[in-house]
Amino acid sequence: MATSAISAGALVNLQELTPSSPNFKQGASFRVTGKLQEYNLETAIAVIVDEGASLKIDTQHMKLNLRPGSIYQFIGELHIEPNNEAILKARVGRNVDGLDINLYRHSLQLLREFQTEQINTRTS
Amino acid sequence: MNNALYNTHVKLLAFDFLSLSPNATDHPSSFSRKGRLLSRAETLGFVVTRELKPGKFLRFTIDDGTGCIPCVLWLNHLSSSYFSKRSPSGVRSIAQVAMKFASEIQLGVVARVRGRITGYRGMVQMTVSDVVLESDPNSQVLHWLDCVSLRFCGCIVGTCSFLLNLAQLFYLMSSCAMHVIVNVD
Repeated sequence: MATSAISAGALVNLQELTPSSPNFKQGASFRVTGKLQEYNLETAIAVIVDEGASLKIDTQHMKLNLRPGSIYQFIGELHIEPNNEAILKARVGRNVDGLDINLYRHSLQLLREFQTEQINTRTS
Repeated sequence: MNNALYNTHVKLLAFDFLSLSPNATDHPSSFSRKGRLLSRAETLGFVVTRELKPGKFLRFTIDDGTGCIPCVLWLNHLSSSYFSKRSPSGVRSIAQVAMKFASEIQLGVVARVRGRITGYRGMVQMTVSDVVLESDPNSQVLHWLDCVSLRFCGCIVGTCSFLLNLAQLFYLMSSCAMHVIVNVD
């Protein structure tokens, strides 16, 4: 059957969105998770961090009360600026304080292995 | 074809849900997945699109990180001839519940959605019967693990390392639960 019109936000860690990563593509949809480091009310640009990596998030299309120090999850499209800096233009976002980050990372890895295995089984 | 899961709300990841194929030969309005007949499913994820036609339906999309599941929640109970032979008070109750679900489904919320697997314009979708908003940020992670572990219960053979990883994760989850219990005490 046909697929949905909207792209799913692929689950990635912030470390996987560096310029050398295969994920670093203009317009690609991602779901990212990280601690809010700073937020500029005038520009609606937030910066989230996770394990030493950071990412700018454009939150202008969202109604979300952002608190530095809290953990957030955003889904949106990656916009790569001329200086090769990435910014995620968020469509939706959510405070996820209380998320077990260790469990999340392990589960994400397992989910990817499972998905790859299932798709390979289907195509073989 | 195996119909043990027919009429059961099966937890499915979106990439799995979207690969279901219609199976009209064994059961009307059923779908098949690896030789198993399915008619109902459960998903959990972010609501990423929402289109309301008042008095008719609410269309929305659930993104669980592996794909996007199109959902339709019917809101035409009071005007549809389909319900005309049922008791008016019962139909009103169904309509009120559907309206409540529709008001809860907003962009950005995380929802657990159950319903029938249906086809529409060549796409597989979910015709919604139940919506629960999830406030626990770990609910999505637990849903992924449920979906993965249930696929193994469905007799899909995996590699040893994969099963070992799964076992380690369930150990992590139980440690996490113990931690919560200790903190509450």
